Amino acid sequence: MTSFNKKANILSYKGSSHMRQRLILSVLSGKSVKIDEIRKLDDNPGIQEFEVNLIRLLDKITNGTIVELNETGTSVFFQPGLLHGGTVQHECSLQRGVGYYLEVLVMLGLFCKVPLNVTLRCVTNNCLDPSADHILHGFLPCLRKFILDDEDLELKIVKRGMLPHGGGEVKFSCPISKQVRPVQLLDAGMVKRVRGVAYALRVAPSIANRMVDSAKGVLLKFLPDVFITTDQRKGIQSGKSPGFGIHLVAETTQGVFYVAEQMSQPAEAADVSLPEDVGAKAAQRLLRQIYLGGCVDPAAQSVAVLLMALSRNDVSKIMVGPLSNYTISFLRHLREFFGLTFHLEHCVGDDDSEGRGSDKIHMTCVGIGYSNLNKRTI
Amino acid sequence: MSQPHAEDAFEKKKAHRQKLSGRKAERKKAKSGRNNDLDPKERNPKAFGFQSAIKAQRKFRHKQDFETKKQHIPHVDHTPLEPPPLLVAVVGPPKVGKSTLISSLIKLFTRTTLTDVKGPVTIVMGKKRRVTLIECNNDISSMVDLAKVVDLVLLLCDASFGFEMEVFEFLNICQVHGMPRIMGVLTHLDLIKNAKALKNTKKTLKHRFWTEVYPGAKLFYLSGILHEEYLRNEIKNLGRFLSVMKLRQLTWRTTHSYLLGDRYEDLTSQEYVRQNPKCNRNVSLYGYVRGIPISKHLSVHIAGVGDFPISDISFLPDPCPLPETIKKRALIEKEKLVYAPFSGVGGIVYDKDAVYVELGGSHSHTKKVEDESTNIVTNITKIEKTLDEKMEEATLQLFTAGKKITSKDLEELMQIDDDQLVSHLKPVRKEPEARSERRKVIFDEEEDEFENASSSSSSDEDDDTTTNSAPSTSVPNKSKDINSKLKNILNQLENKNGVNDNQTESQSRKSDESDDDSGSDSGHESLDDFNVKWKENLATRALNRHSTTRSIMKIVYGSIDEEPDEVENDNSDGEEIGGLFKVASSNVQKHKMKQTDLNTVESSLFDSWNNDVGKDWLEPESKALIQNCFVTGAWKESEDAEQLLKLDDAEDLESDSSEAFGDFEDLETGEKHITPGSDKQGEKRKMPVDESTEKKALAEKKSKLKAQFDADYDNAGSSYYDEMKSSAEKQSELNKTVFQQMSDDLRVQVEGYRPGMYVRLELEDVPAEFIDNFDPSYPLVIGSLNMSEENIGYVNVKVKKHRWYKKILKSSDPVLLSLGWRRFQTVPIYSKLEDDLKFRYLKYTPQHITCNAHFWGPITPQGTGFLAIQSVPSSVTTDKPGFRIAATGAVQELDKSTQIMKKLKLIGHPLKIYNKTAFIKDMFNSSLEVARFEGAQIKTVSGIRGQIKKAISKPEGCFRGTFEDKIKLSDIVFCRTWFKVNVPQFYNPMITLLLPSELRIGWKGARTLGQIKRDENIKNQPNEDSLYKDIVRRPKVFKPLVIPKKLQAILPYKSRPKYGVLLEEQKKALERVAVVREPYEHKVSKMMHMLRTSFKHKKEQHKKTMKENIKNYHKEIEQIEAKKQKKIQLQKKQIMKTRQRAAAIREKKGRS
Repeated sequence: MTSFNKKANILSYKGSSHMRQRLILSVLSGKSVKIDEIRKLDDNPGIQEFEVNLIRLLDKITNGTIVELNETGTSVFFQPGLLHGGTVQHECSLQRGVGYYLEVLVMLGLFCKVPLNVTLRCVTNNCLDPSADHILHGFLPCLRKFILDDEDLELKIVKRGMLPHGGGEVKFSCPISKQVRPVQLLDAGMVKRVRGVAYALRVAPSIANRMVDSAKGVLLKFLPDVFITTDQRKGIQSGKSPGFGIHLVAETTQGVFYVAEQMSQPAEAADVSLPEDVGAKAAQRLLRQIYLGGCVDPAAQSVAVLLMALSRNDVSKIMVGPLSNYTISFLRHLREFFGLTFHLEHCVGDDDSEGRGSDKIHMTCVGIGYSNLNKRTI
Repeated sequence: MSQPHAEDAFEKKKAHRQKLSGRKAERKKAKSGRNNDLDPKERNPKAFGFQSAIKAQRKFRHKQDFETKKQHIPHVDHTPLEPPPLLVAVVGPPKVGKSTLISSLIKLFTRTTLTDVKGPVTIVMGKKRRVTLIECNNDISSMVDLAKVVDLVLLLCDASFGFEMEVFEFLNICQVHGMPRIMGVLTHLDLIKNAKALKNTKKTLKHRFWTEVYPGAKLFYLSGILHEEYLRNEIKNLGRFLSVMKLRQLTWRTTHSYLLGDRYEDLTSQEYVRQNPKCNRNVSLYGYVRGIPISKHLSVHIAGVGDFPISDISFLPDPCPLPETIKKRALIEKEKLVYAPFSGVGGIVYDKDAVYVELGGSHSHTKKVEDESTNIVTNITKIEKTLDEKMEEATLQLFTAGKKITSKDLEELMQIDDDQLVSHLKPVRKEPEARSERRKVIFDEEEDEFENASSSSSSDEDDDTTTNSAPSTSVPNKSKDINSKLKNILNQLENKNGVNDNQTESQSRKSDESDDDSGSDSGHESLDDFNVKWKENLATRALNRHSTTRSIMKIVYGSIDEEPDEVENDNSDGEEIGGLFKVASSNVQKHKMKQTDLNTVESSLFDSWNNDVGKDWLEPESKALIQNCFVTGAWKESEDAEQLLKLDDAEDLESDSSEAFGDFEDLETGEKHITPGSDKQGEKRKMPVDESTEKKALAEKKSKLKAQFDADYDNAGSSYYDEMKSSAEKQSELNKTVFQQMSDDLRVQVEGYRPGMYVRLELEDVPAEFIDNFDPSYPLVIGSLNMSEENIGYVNVKVKKHRWYKKILKSSDPVLLSLGWRRFQTVPIYSKLEDDLKFRYLKYTPQHITCNAHFWGPITPQGTGFLAIQSVPSSVTTDKPGFRIAATGAVQELDKSTQIMKKLKLIGHPLKIYNKTAFIKDMFNSSLEVARFEGAQIKTVSGIRGQIKKAISKPEGCFRGTFEDKIKLSDIVFCRTWFKVNVPQFYNPMITLLLPSELRIGWKGARTLGQIKRDENIKNQPNEDSLYKDIVRRPKVFKPLVIPKKLQAILPYKSRPKYGVLLEEQKKALERVAVVREPYEHKVSKMMHMLRTSFKHKKEQHKKTMKENIKNYHKEIEQIEAKKQKKIQLQKKQIMKTRQRAAAIREKKGRS
């Protein structure tokens, strides 16, 4: 599937899957990527709007990027420039949620020349991608563990926007760092509290309370410390489409956050979702996330993996739950781009692991000592 | 026995007897009796207290400053458990005794004499130390290369001559690339006969050395030579210093891995070399890994050759190992090893696939003779064939490991039916690799080659699966008839293969699946419930199963990534309808199914939020799975407060006497405490558990106590610095231990080839000149390149001209840079960072301050030092070069574009002037240009400011401008702007190692502008205006001042010009007639003059005496005054005395 032209420093791939990973790693490693046969036999062939949008975003935050598409869009050549960062405004595609783009920024933000300050106009909550809340509560805490100074690491949800018309807006700012430090995270701790936000946009405000009630009904069976706020937005702040949803965060004694979310069907969908169902489902999802466990949120595994790989030339060790499909492919791509292999093993030896969720995995690696080549030193 | 005792007694001196009485004894008693029982602090508290708060504060601050100054940022120690040999370079000008020193050292430690030392020599120096010695020749490029890798420098200097330029150059090179340890060695001391002169030379040289390195740096003296060797004792001392030397951690070397190549082999097939002696070679290089672990996927840079991706790397058994077990104090003879392949020492060398035996000179000699005799024959065989023949034999290779197909073969091939073809190709596929054959495709143009290359490179990665993909990719586009035929055959072939492969694959998948199932646990069915699309994937199934580490790693890295390539060419599949559309056949459908795997939706969520939740977590059995994830559940034993309390109790009981055992009642709370020992039933239940827990608890308690002790008594702890230090220590401990249990094969995959390992690097496509012109006296430095360091871009550096370099540097003159591992020539543009963060172009570097420079070069991390050399002198003989290092600096920033601005003044002239508006011409050429500058500031020479308003239509390029005042037609109007200067993209690596040895020293790259002009004898015609001329100033003639008559009339007489009167008097003066006196009159006037003079004299005299008298009078008065004063003082004293007395008396009276 992959071939590497070593002399020309180009990696060749086929198919559109994992395109985002490949582009991220390409930017970080400075290796060019050529992707062929993108949805070659699909009814809607070639690269799609959200992918083009992603490439545009990458072009905005880099300097000297060269992108070549063929006529049908089934083949992409991407030669990365240097990460520049700075203040960027970007209109995201409505096909994907904001998480699709924010994740890229979370991964690249640290290595820019100028601190990143991005405004994205987008769909803030959808089912396919981590929502803005998820990035805020699941991804950023993970990122914080790898950097010393997290002063400007912020994500602000200015407007919420649901499918199908979006209309949300988030502001993301990220500091720059010279190097990522190695971490040893082996204890996830125990869940000590659950917080959450129930939002109802352009629908009756009582819906939010109904969601809160049903979610609490589930969660209080495990933990007394559950506190869910409601987020009623008015006018332009509530986006362009009606919808509602609930977002739950479980915090452990060691400062690990697990995030779950559930939202209503888009307005045009056939089946109508009940707020009670949404609330209960979200709670159930949170329990599942807790079951999966680990020292990072299951969705943020890839961020942790990336930062471990890029850290100083020291050993990093982290305990995670079962690896997601995405993480597995990320690990493979890491090997192709950086030549870094992780050492993976099951946690063994704990007698009292009963009732502590799924089997855990220890990931160990020696960082490649990636340093921010874009930063200016004086 | 008794006799010596008696003798002792006899010889014993009379002891001192203290005086017990008398004056002295009394005095002593009095002295010692005073507060003798108190310690000085109590006896004299003043001496130990604060004298002054400010002073105390200062003292405290000074102490803190002093302590903080000593602190360095703690670094994680990366030295491996078994470090590579210490790399010692012997550096110095020629004829100073470098080779002698190396051979003396080798002889001392190995008891063998190496007559001809070439290249690095590794010896075992002690139980824990190996040393690689290398001599640095006088070429500046090898000095630069060595300075980057060397751990310790022995800097040799001829004391009878003094320091030479090379020494200082080398020291400066070292400073730039990270200072290694440096030890000076003075030789030829025996040439200085005079003892005093010797002493003085030593002293002056030592102090000069100290100013360069650091005060107190070690300088050795080798006093003389005996039998062509240095004195044994002195060498021994030097060796001792080497064996205890501690190393510095240098930033560059702790972020890069590097090797000093001590051996190379040419792996190219002899046949290719015969056919084309200049063909690119496959080379293996050997050396100890240094710095950080080296990874297989990196590229390396060979200094003086270029960048190469590592095609293969493997570790070999150490050729010069340290003694395994340390038994004795000294090394035994067998352990004193020496390894120097370039010098022909090392004997048999085992490699991955071969054994090399050093055969010595005799064989090489015979070989030469043979060559000469068979010269004619070889010439005949080398003759190239005619063109037709070539065409006949033009080959096409379809498979990487396959046989080449010629045009003749093609005819035959077409006749063979499919079954035969398959059977024909099967053995081919399994044939061992002959990779480089693929370069031979002469059939078609670049496209094919590219395709071939890509297919074959993919085959490098996966050995067996790619074969079926190759045919489709390598089909040429041109020569259509052959093409189509071939295609047909191949497609048929492919279909068969495809089916086969699919079958085998599915089988293997099944087997995998069954493995997984057997391994999976029943407790984790939960995941199976999820009805997700990618459920079929291996990876998902692998999520929750008990298996060994290997198997998870295999799931992630192993079998899956070697999927067969998709079939690209399916034109022939399906029938065409109307020549335009194709009916998708089942085959295509199948591919489509596969394609779905290629085009999955990418989401980082574990499973997307609209999937089914799966199981209900409120059900008891699922609830039990996560119950303890909450603080409300059961805690781990080590964390549970209750458990900990119990453990503590148990320990207390244990440590207490046996009486403490037993039940007792807490009187305060009324609780009853029952020990497990008293409860018989409980005992039975708990005993086995208790033992183990107690042991554990004991161990835990011990460790806790130890930690407490460490915290209390070690200095480490509270401060931030200590915390950092301890965390760095912890990290380095973890780095060392975490992979220790792993086998080396697995470990190198995860960690890379760690420093200290002896590795073999295989590189492809190395230029033939590397082999042909190999010279072991030049160091073979192989440095790894980190991520994106093989890329190229604009580098912004801080640069300062070296103070010893005589000239300043000019922008866009090429310079040689040594940056990172590389040496290259590039064209820098100098600039200065202004206060508005603009880089202003500079034509020359400033004399004594730093400036910026931008150049096109390899991306190198910020903070990396570099040095610039203007040119390597062609030969030493022509002109003794001065100090060659032109500038030094460090990298600041890397980018893909630059912003260097040069000042630009646009000049225009007024065309027409209205009141404050003017039309300006000559500044721009078109109205478009003007439009760009609308609103810009302009200024005349006289300082009248203005603004560009708008272009006017008629004379093209003219514009209307407004000014703050009316300007004149003779004014010149300026517009000050900036002009972007582009940095030339010139990057010329210095490939000295590919040149023949004699050409290396005089390497010539691009010449500077000045050099070219000098060589070509070009002289610029200067601009007439720019030439200096003598300034001739004529005296200014002013117009006469004319005052109007009216004004004159008003003016007072005093200020009125007096023409008439003046003229009259002037006339008079002009017309005055000389007066001639009568003798009488003359006499009278003479008399009068005499009288006047004498009177004047008299007056003066009188004045003088008067002055004297006054002075005397004043003196007298003063004396009288003084006397008076004295008298008054005495009287006052008298009065005061009486007063005091009276007061005393009064006081006495009052008291009594």
